[in-house]
Formats: sequence, structure tokens, C-alpha cells
Amino acid sequence: MALKLTLAGRTHLVEIVRRRPRLVLSIDGREHEIAAAGEGGDGRNSLEIGGDSLHFVRAQVGDSQLVHLKGRGYEVGWVDPQAEIADAGADHDEVKSPMPGRVVSVSRIAGDRVLRGETVATIESMKLQMSLPAPRDGRIAAILRAEGDAVEKDEAVARLEALSPGS
Amino acid sequence: MTDPAVTALATPSRTKAPLFRKVMIANRGEIVCRIARTLRQLSIPSLAIFHDAEAGAAHTRVTDEAVEIQGETPVAAHLDARQIIVAAVKAGADAIHPGYGFLSENAAFARAVAEAGLTFIGPDADVIALMGDKISARAFAERHGAPVAPSAVSEGHIDAFIAAAAGIGFPLLIKAAAGGGGKGMKIVRSQEELADAARSAASEALRYFADGRIYAELYVERPRHIEVQVLGDGQGEAVHLFERECSVQRRFQKIIEEAPAPNLPRETRERMLDSAVRLTRAARYRNAGTIEFILAPDGRFFFLEMNTRLQVEHPVTEMITGVDLVRAQVEIAAGQGLPFRQSEIAPRGVAIECRICAEDPERDFLPEIGVVRYLAKPEAPYLRFENALDAHQKVTADFDSMLAKLVAHSETRDAAIGRSIAALRELVIVGVRTNTEYLARVLAHPAFRAGDLHTGFLAEHAQELKSIPPDERTRDHVLIAAALGLRDFREVAFGAPEPHATIGRWRN
Amino acid sequence: MRKIQSTINASSAEFRRNFAHNKRLAAEFRERQEAARHSRPARDLARIAKQGKMRPRERIEKLIDPGTPFLELSSLAANMAYGGEAPSASCIAGIGIVAGKETMIRADDCTVKGGAWYPLTVKKIVRALDIALENRLPVIHLCDSAGGFLPLQAELFPDRQMAGRIFRNQSLLSKLGVQQLALVFGHCTAGGAYIPALSDYSVIVRGTGAVFLGGPPLVRAATGEEVSVEELGGAEMHTSVSGVCDYPAATEEEAISIGRDIVRLWREPNKIAGRREPAEAPAYDPEELYGILPDDIKRQFEMREIIARIVDGSRFHEYQPNYGATLVCGFANIWGFKVGILANNGVLFNDSSLKGAHFIELCNQNETPLLFLQNITGYMVGREYERRGITKDGAKMIMAQSCSRVPKFTVMCNGSFGAGNYGMCGRAYDGRLLFAWPNHQIGVMGGKQAANTLADVKLNQMKRGGEAVDRALVERVREETLAAYQEQLSAYYSTSELWDDGIIDPVDTRNALGVAISASLNAPLGEPGYGVFRF
Repeated sequence: MALKLTLAGRTHLVEIVRRRPRLVLSIDGREHEIAAAGEGGDGRNSLEIGGDSLHFVRAQVGDSQLVHLKGRGYEVGWVDPQAEIADAGADHDEVKSPMPGRVVSVSRIAGDRVLRGETVATIESMKLQMSLPAPRDGRIAAILRAEGDAVEKDEAVARLEALSPGS
Repeated sequence: MTDPAVTALATPSRTKAPLFRKVMIANRGEIVCRIARTLRQLSIPSLAIFHDAEAGAAHTRVTDEAVEIQGETPVAAHLDARQIIVAAVKAGADAIHPGYGFLSENAAFARAVAEAGLTFIGPDADVIALMGDKISARAFAERHGAPVAPSAVSEGHIDAFIAAAAGIGFPLLIKAAAGGGGKGMKIVRSQEELADAARSAASEALRYFADGRIYAELYVERPRHIEVQVLGDGQGEAVHLFERECSVQRRFQKIIEEAPAPNLPRETRERMLDSAVRLTRAARYRNAGTIEFILAPDGRFFFLEMNTRLQVEHPVTEMITGVDLVRAQVEIAAGQGLPFRQSEIAPRGVAIECRICAEDPERDFLPEIGVVRYLAKPEAPYLRFENALDAHQKVTADFDSMLAKLVAHSETRDAAIGRSIAALRELVIVGVRTNTEYLARVLAHPAFRAGDLHTGFLAEHAQELKSIPPDERTRDHVLIAAALGLRDFREVAFGAPEPHATIGRWRN
Repeated sequence: MRKIQSTINASSAEFRRNFAHNKRLAAEFRERQEAARHSRPARDLARIAKQGKMRPRERIEKLIDPGTPFLELSSLAANMAYGGEAPSASCIAGIGIVAGKETMIRADDCTVKGGAWYPLTVKKIVRALDIALENRLPVIHLCDSAGGFLPLQAELFPDRQMAGRIFRNQSLLSKLGVQQLALVFGHCTAGGAYIPALSDYSVIVRGTGAVFLGGPPLVRAATGEEVSVEELGGAEMHTSVSGVCDYPAATEEEAISIGRDIVRLWREPNKIAGRREPAEAPAYDPEELYGILPDDIKRQFEMREIIARIVDGSRFHEYQPNYGATLVCGFANIWGFKVGILANNGVLFNDSSLKGAHFIELCNQNETPLLFLQNITGYMVGREYERRGITKDGAKMIMAQSCSRVPKFTVMCNGSFGAGNYGMCGRAYDGRLLFAWPNHQIGVMGGKQAANTLADVKLNQMKRGGEAVDRALVERVREETLAAYQEQLSAYYSTSELWDDGIIDPVDTRNALGVAISASLNAPLGEPGYGVFRF
């Protein structure tokens, strides 16, 4: 699979053309022979590309690579082909109870904005309390169960809605 | 190669017994490191303060001791005068150096320090109060023969102010009487804009400074901001350490300063220095201070304000004079008087300071935050890289965005610019966006090289100072460097088995 | 090992004639292959594009590590069956590198009748899984099939080597600890549904992927239940309710990316330790193979010249160079892997058969894979040879070869006729992979011999029946037989029926063998030992 990187708002395709006798990468179709590929990881590093000997500093921050080369800093983003599965909750609007139990507390009210992972309610089941997180960023459309209510497995305790653009 | 301007700072103390038992440095960041260096040379134990959010920060490690101060926010803690004085007393300090910013120009603090029986390394509280208020400072300057720009003050009704301001002529600058920095400043170019501008400035002044008084003065087009470094002994004696050029500003804040000011006619310089010394004497000013002037293209200059503390940009003065200003401050505070006579010092060469800030010049210099992932500091005998940076340090919005100062000295201005640009390229801060490249572009700009400076310099040349996208080759190299930093990509690139890796892309 | 000294004269008329002939054969092969791979009705392609689906070859290209080889197998399967309706037997199989690991990749071809399985499709899938079993190659299934092609169900469903064998092989692979991954891009209907179910991991694409034993129409017919594809077997249902599939993916790209992540997790292959030397290109240009192979199947050529253009550095350690000269035996390296080569330089005699059997034993003793380069018209016939026991010497070679524990590979360089095919590891002998060159012909005997034999039979019938000898009739028998024979003798017929693992261009032989030998080292060697040799 081709690697997709972004730099200054543009997407670039990085492909492996050959490995022997030397690694050849293509950037948007332009081929570069890598005579020395340096080390992986962060910090001071060097590369030999074509006839150029490059000394640079690299650091990974989240999905971005910060590269400092010839007195300039660059931020290179990585387009994750699985970005969408990372948002697997994206089409899940319901905050469901994973166990049959009882609602111990409801921490949000309808209309609240929530971020993915923030607790919406807490349930108790089998003498164990667990918080029910928002599956994605959004707004609480409705709280469907109140404190003290019994809930079944997979029953929705709250429902989310998308934030309208600009809000 | 050792620069005498720098070695002079390291000459041993002329007295044998330490001047103070222990000095608290009531500040943070690079200035603490800077002050601690001199205190160490003077064999004076130092004490730093820190909020929990700064635990372990560089400025707490360069002093002999460090005490924690509490506060809702780190800034609140650093502004808590009472707590800081109590901490100083408790730790056995007998003097407090306030650095710049925070409590350094707070008259009440200076007074409280004195009342607690400690020495405030700075001027008297009354002088701080006098100079801290723009209106009283201006009146004082006017009384003592310093040129002041025509102005008006809103003492009573706003309408009276508007009428008086209109009398000055346009363009006008309106600002809060109690303000500092760029807050509440407005430029008014015509009669029609005046009333609205005055009202909104007054309400902003009230909001920011709890003091609705505003102040209007002649607005000088293409002005230069030139300041004079002075030292006063508090007995009416004073000397100057020449001037600094501070015109290169963004959002009304300096980012490049230099000494001496380029293209300044000798006669103007003389008058300016003389004016500054006279004012300092008249105020019976004690300690290091700075008198700021606005210089018009026609050679007229006006008193702007006096900063009653050590300035951020003091190193450029140190580098051209060989004087350690912090040491002078300490010695004066210890009652030793002025360290030299005016005739004993002369400037040598040119020094330029660049303020390295966590900000994005491409987005209106908005502050940036992040974690320093990699740090490489420039080093050379003619350089001072004043900083409190650590690798892995968090840069938050808690404090000012200035991360460090890079000061370079050389015999000529061109050479100093060259050295500064080289050092900026050597400086690597990865993880937080900074203005480093922008500063290098400013220094390299022909107008800067020509010394054609004014406070609108950056705005005037904004277009040429924008970053130029890298050429395709460099961009490809950056992308390759990034790709080879991704573990997964490296695995694909180097993990292919043999003979497949050698066969390569083959289809039958 | 010494470099083979080639005696080919590339400027000779013969060389040039051969070159032109074989180059044309290679070009014809490429054309047929190109058509089988890419020529599809625009309507089908438009439908696939509309569904947002990739074509199977695009999927494979995205799946495998960039800049690595893909050895496609049987690209012309079914090329002479079903009136050409099922190019490549409507599926793709091959060995490729995914996340650094050798894998068998098997893809349904949704561009042909919705990926329906023809009898030869089933044969090809079963063969791919046989290869996976024999070589312990992890399998990645790219599923997108409407199910069995119903009009021909009798030829694909019931027998031992038919559809059921696919799932049996999947089960055995799993038992051997060989991982399988299914990427469900389209439908997996009926039996096809077991492919993801029997895989260790499965990823299913939302919206287009579906897995069910019976599709909505069948459900409606059987029970009257109205149900949508999504509800019945869509990604959401299978990954959150039934557990038939493991990971939902929003797009095909994402499914491939997840699939690559999964393969990365798999343990490193435990290949049999064989010394691999640094590879070296042949000293002679493989293109010259075209000029060495004759333009007439009947004409003999020097097999050492072929070997010189396949093996590393053209270096060859010949065993018994002066004995049994019609079978060239010796050691060489291919892509750094040591192999024992048996190549026909004429009819097999008693001595060449004994030499071959002995050499096979040496390779087994030495754990050296065997490579058979076939160009064989058979074992020598005639009273003299029968009296010398040519049959028992041929049998020794078959015994030694059949019982070999080392991986075996066969390349059909030209003719493969009669019992020589057996001794030289023909299809029946479970070589790991068998490739054919475009000029290859195969049959129990040559076309002319067969035609003559049958014409003689006809003539004798006439004579015995006292009929007048109708020369014209005998001639017709001869010609008809020859024509029918010629078609079935051809490499295209052979490959259509999956008697081989694909035709390859002669110049591709070295790479194909490199990938094949490397793959074979994933499986442990078999038990040593032979049956009873007749001395």
C-alpha cells in the first residue's frame, strides 16, 4: 500500500519502488535513491538521498512527524488508512449498558456537549460499577434512563446527536 | 576566540564578603538563570520560587534553593506578593530580585519587601509608582526638560478629553493611562473616529486595568522605539549605558533588539542620552532603569515611559559595554553606589537579540503550545543563548510565549546579523512551533540590513517576510525523512524477505 | 561449481529463427494473459465501479508489500473451457509478500459473472489451498463470489476434489497451524460463506460485504422471510451479533489495511534451515533462451544451455558428467538456494535412469530441493532395452522421485511424452509447483505417433475385415486424430485444465523458481525412506 503523508496542506504519495541494491522511494512519482536510511525513531539523524547528505532532527508527535532540516521545521502528517475504524463509534449514537444492572448516576443532561470517552452515566452490575462513556463527540440528545432504573444488557441509557456545524 | 564583551561579565566580585546573605529571585524562566549566574559569581546564595506546574523546571535547578509557592494558577502564584515575601523571609533571604514582568514594577510589592526588612533590588516604591503611571511619569518628564509628545488626559468628562485630544492634531494614539504592553491602544486618524475610539479605549482600560483613565498623544508615523539604559545610585547620581533599538515589534511587543541603534545621528543620540541621564538624576532613581523614547523620522524624539526594572533585552547592552547589569543592580542595592563613571565606559561592536517565542508567525503570531521533543542550543563565544529550556519540557499557555533569547555580538552590524542568522539556524526546537525561522527572515531582509527600522517594520514587510514553501527537492527529502521515521513504513521497507526484496516488483 | 561454457552462436541463422519463433510464442502468451486479466465487458466494470469496489487485481496490488514480487499461478486456467467465459477460471491465485511474510493470496474475481465458481474455479482454489498445505503458506482469501455456477454444479460440487475440498483444506491448514485471513469485499454465499468462517481472522467491508448460507432470494423461497442483504449477513450484523466476522471496515482500503496489520501480528515463519548463498544473476542473458529452444518440437537442444540461463552465475556442479549422458544431473543455486537439477538431454536409457535415481537419493540425503527440467519423449523402447530391464530402471527413478522428502519443482521446457513424464516429476507426483513454457506439449505420445498408431489400427481393422483398403479414410483418421491431439497437446490446453500451475515466459523462470523454492522452505521435510527398489 502506498503511504500517504501530508505537508503544508497537501497530500503526497510515498511508494517503495525497489529495495536492492538500494532502497528507492517515489514521492508523487519522483524517484529518489536512499543510499543510507539512517536510524528509526526520534532525534538527530542523517540520510543520504541521491548525492545529498542530509542531517536532520525528527520527532513523532501523535500521527505527525516533526522534521527539522536545514534550519527549517516541517510538520508531516500521516493519513491513517484505518482512520475510520478509529472512529468506529462514529455511527453509534447510543450509550449502551454492556451489562444488565442498575443506573447509579447520570452525569449529563440532554443538550450537554460531550467528548468521546467522557462519562455519561454510571451503572452497577454484579457489584461492580462501570462508567458508560460517550462513543463519540456529540451532544446528548436524550437521557433515556434515570438514576435507580434497571437496565438490560445492550439497552441504551442515553442517545447522542451530531453537533451541528459551527456549534 | 573569546569576546571581551562576554568575559567582562565573568570578572570576580571586587568585594570579599558576599553583598547579601541570600537573594530570592522572584521570577521564572530564563531571567532566573541569568540572575543566578551573576549571584553565583558574587558568591551570593540564590533562591528560586516555583509553582507546582513548574516543578523541576530549569530555573529551579540553577539556584541554590527553590521553594514552592501556591496559587490557583502559576501566574497567580507568581503575583502573590505576600506569599513570596513570607517565603523569602522563611528561607532566610535578605534581598529579592524581581527580574522583569510579574512583580518587578509593582510599587506595593517593593514597599512590602522593604517593610519586611528585605532589600528590593530595584528602585524605591515611590519612584516605581511615579513612573508606573503614564500621566504622572509624563508630567515629571516634562518638568525636567525631557521632550514629550503633545497629549491629553481624561481627568474628568470624556467629552473634555475628546476636545483636548482633537487639539493635538491627527493621527493620535489613545491608550490606557494605567496600561502597559499593547492593551487598549488605538490609533485615531480623523476627528470622526475619535469619539468612538475614546469611549471604547476608556471601557477597555477599565476592564483591563480597573482604571478608566485614558490618554492621547501625537501619533508619530514610522516611529522608532529607542531606549536608554541607565543606572542611578538613588542619591541623584546617574550614568547611561547607551541606547538600544527596539523598533522591530509585533503585536506591540519587541522581538528583535539591538545596541547601538543603527543610523542614529550622533547629535540625536547625545541629546537622547543626556535627556535620559537628567531624568534619572531628577528622579533620584536607584538601580537599573530604562527610558523609552519615540523617535520621529525628522529627528524629534519624545519621552514615552520609564521602565523601572531590568529589561528583557538588557544583554545587548551588556555585550557592547562589558558591564554586568545584574551585578550592578546588586551592588547598587547593597549600597555600593555606581560601579563606574560615565567616562569609564565606551560601546564596542554591535549586539542583536532575537526573542525566540512559541508562536506561529503565519497565524498572526498566535501563541503555540506543545512539548519540546528535541532541543539543540547554539553555542559560540560571541553568543548568549539565554534560556531555561529543557528537552521534554511542556510549553503551556500559562506564561508568556517567550522561550529564550538569542544574543549575538560582533564588531560590525553586518557580522552580528550574520552570526545571529547562523545561530538561529543552529537552534533546533522540535515539538513546539516557534518564530525562529521568521526571525532569520527578518534579519536577512534588506531593509533590516540597511537599518531602515520603525515600529511598523514587520507589518510593512509582512508579505516579503512570509515563509517561502520549500522547493520540491527539499520537500521530497522532508517527506522521505518523515516516512523513514514511521515504524510501520520502515518495517515494510526493510522487512521484506529474500529473495523477494532483491527480485523487487516482478509480475509474471 | 564451474561456470557453464555456452557454445551458442547468437548470430547463427538457427538461433535467430528460434528466437523469432519463441519470442512470438511468448508474445502470444502475454496477449492471452492480458486478455484473461483485463478484458471484461464494460457493463461489468461499470457495475463494480458503481459499487465502489476495486477490481481483484487492484486489491492484490494494495495488499502486497510494494516493490515485491507476486507469482501468479495458473493465469490462463480455463482459457479453453466454457467458451472462454471464465478467464483465469474467474479467480486469482498467487504467492506474494504481505507485511514481510510469504502468503498464498486467493481472490475471487467479481468481474466475471459476479465471481461465480465454475468447476475449474473450484479446481484452481483447491490447488491453491493444496499448495498452501504443502508449503505451509498462510492464506489470504479476498472474497467476492456469488457462489457456485449452478448450471455446472454437477462438475463442481459432489466429488472428492470439488468444492467440499476447499473447506477441508482450510480446516487442515488450520490444524497445521497455518494462519488464514479472509477479507470479505463482496458476497460469500452458500459454501463460500465457510471461507471467512473457517479463517482465523476475517474483515468485512460495510455496505458491500455479506456472508450467508442462503441469500435473500433463497430465504424467501425457503421460508417466505423477507430480509435485506445487510440484515441477513452484512458487516454490522456479523461483527456485532453473529461473530462470523471479526472486524468491520468502512472501505476496501481500510479492510486491506486492517488485513495487513493482522498479518503483521502473525508469528515469523519457521523455515527449514538451508544455507542460502548470496544470489547472483546468470552469466548468460536469459533472453537467449528464446534462441536456444527449437522452433520444432522434434529437434533436440542442449539443456546445459538452458540451465546456464536460469541458475546463479551460470554455475553448475555436474554429477557423473560422463555417465548416462541423456540425463544431465548436477547442483546449482537459484536466487541463492541450492537445488539439484535433472534435465533431459535425450531419451532416458538404463544408465541415465539409474543415474537419475541415484542423484535423487543424493539430493534427499543432502536435503537439496529438486528441479526437473523436462524435455522428454520417454524411456528407450526396443528388445535390447527391455531385456536390460529399462522398465525396472525407469521404475527405480519413479520410486526414488515419488518418495523424495525434499521439495520438487518441474518446468516443462518443451515436450513431455509418455512415461518420461512420470520419472521427471510430472503433475501426478506432487511437485510443489509445476510451470510450463509456451512451447510445451504434453501427451502419452507425440501427435504424429498417435495419429500414425490410430491410422495403423484402422488399416489393420480393414485388413482383418477383408475390406478394400480405403486409403482416403485412413488418411482422414490420421488427420482428425492429429488435429484433436494437437489441441490437447498444447500448453494452453494443459494449463486450461490446471495440469500445471501456469504457463510462464521462459525469461521469468528464474524468478518464479526463486519465489517457489523460498515458499517451499516453510514446510518441514517429509519422512525419509523409499519403497522397494527392483534391482
